[in-house]
Amino acid sequence: MITVQNLVKMYGQVAALQGITFEVPSGQVVGFVGPNGAGKSTTMKILTGFLYATNGKAALEGIDVRENPLEVRRRVGYLPETNPLYTDMRVDDYLSFVAEVRGVKGARRRAAMDRVVQVCGLGTVFKKGISELSKGFRQRVGLAQAMIHDPQILILDEPTSGLDPNQIVEIRDLIRSLGTNRTVVLSTHYLQEVEAACDRIIIVAQGNIVADGTGEELCARLPAGALALEIIGPPDTVHGKLKDAFTGARVDMAPQVEGSRSTRFHVVFASEPDTDAREIAHDLVQANGWKILELKRKSASLEDVFRRLTANGAAAVSAEPAMAPSQEGAIDV
Amino acid sequence: MSDTWTITKRELRSYFLSPIAYVVGALFLGIGAYMFFQIVFIEAGRAAEARMDAYFGRLPMFFLVLVPALAMRLWSEERKLGTIELLLTFPVRTGSLIMGKFLGALLFLSVLMLLTLIYPITLAALGDLDWGPVIGGYLGALLLAAAYLSLGLFVSSTTQDQIIALIVSVVVLLLLYYLPGIAAFFLPPALIDTVMLASPVVHFQSIARGVLDLSDVIYYVVFCAFFLFLNHVTIEVRKWAG
Repeated sequence: MITVQNLVKMYGQVAALQGITFEVPSGQVVGFVGPNGAGKSTTMKILTGFLYATNGKAALEGIDVRENPLEVRRRVGYLPETNPLYTDMRVDDYLSFVAEVRGVKGARRRAAMDRVVQVCGLGTVFKKGISELSKGFRQRVGLAQAMIHDPQILILDEPTSGLDPNQIVEIRDLIRSLGTNRTVVLSTHYLQEVEAACDRIIIVAQGNIVADGTGEELCARLPAGALALEIIGPPDTVHGKLKDAFTGARVDMAPQVEGSRSTRFHVVFASEPDTDAREIAHDLVQANGWKILELKRKSASLEDVFRRLTANGAAAVSAEPAMAPSQEGAIDV
Repeated sequence: MSDTWTITKRELRSYFLSPIAYVVGALFLGIGAYMFFQIVFIEAGRAAEARMDAYFGRLPMFFLVLVPALAMRLWSEERKLGTIELLLTFPVRTGSLIMGKFLGALLFLSVLMLLTLIYPITLAALGDLDWGPVIGGYLGALLLAAAYLSLGLFVSSTTQDQIIALIVSVVVLLLLYYLPGIAAFFLPPALIDTVMLASPVVHFQSIARGVLDLSDVIYYVVFCAFFLFLNHVTIEVRKWAG
């Protein structure tokens, strides 16, 4: 259980967190997504006690991070964003050190190390120096380190960054399996990842929470999908008639490609039309004697939600250009 | 306490794995051996009895580079690697982390100094050695090393660049080393004695003569406590600043 109330963090004059509030019940896997500089890592650093908040409260399992930091840290496993490791140590020595410093001693330490080595698949590199390991194995060592004391809460800052697609799937499955009896907060840039691994998604931008819910709930916030068309016909006439046929929708025409007989159109609906949009498009083409080369319906994806929400945030706080995410493609739903 | 010891063990292990520690250790023992034989074959020929004064007399200058070279990585490297984020999110007090690092480096230095015991043992075998000043010399050297180390550890916590940590520490220690001379040059005679008391070298010389004065020991304890406290402040302040 994690409770965050009105958390504010200032780095000098720059507000990294502008008063965020959320709650994570026990046993939930929550994914934090947002552009770089949105405040994901800052939130995690405050939850683990690495940084102090400028204002607001954060508590884990009901224990305030400022009032009783040692108790909080005992209950949390943390994988920092850069996955820092003592590269002069061997994997077994490193895990043994972390276990000891986390108070896992004696026979329990042996058992804990066997467990994380098995769960994280470190058997083949157990006796190797950390500096010799590939990025994928280092990431697993980082995860093993975070889990060695079997914490109730896991905070993982970009656990799959820099991994190849196979490793990403492995780590994602691992997180999924961990989440069955633990609270997990993870951050990522991969939207498919949160959809696949998390019960709930929190989108942050410019130090604010801009969306919070399951993947489906968030997608439902975008009212309707879009239609992609490729039509042979007089471009301007087609454009005009499409606009008439789909009232209220935005119809974009792609620039004419030299030598091409067809033109691409993009229809974005404000709300779903009563009749199937594809049917309307087909009838229109038939009635005018044009030819249709391609007709594709697109539904709103999490990516669209992300782009729309985080780009809006950027527009609202355009005074901070350094932190503004790219607005490119913001209208491309 | 057991947290401190866990950190101490890791630091010690790290020293024994680090090439810098071996280079520094070899220099310490090598130059020490050179100084020692110079004493034995040149100065001792003229002296009536076997002594190590000349060796201990040069130790403060020697430590001035040696100790910062061993201390420079203690926090800087953690900050550079980012492992400080792990350390500070372990369920361990900041004070235990600082003490663990301090003791780890001090133990490594003690090992180096233990190796130099071969010099007085050789001297004792060759002639009549007065062990009083030798024991005083070693005790003073340990206290002096601890003082230099506390300063070096603090400086290391303020930067992620080991070389900057080394240079700043050496410069500050040089100023402290020449403090008596500087004071004599600038200050009225009435103040000189007081300023002399602030110099770690003056207290070392007093102990190395074989006279163990409690006030000298207290001086080193206060010196160490002051810089270890400053170290604590820099770590905590960074949690606010980010």
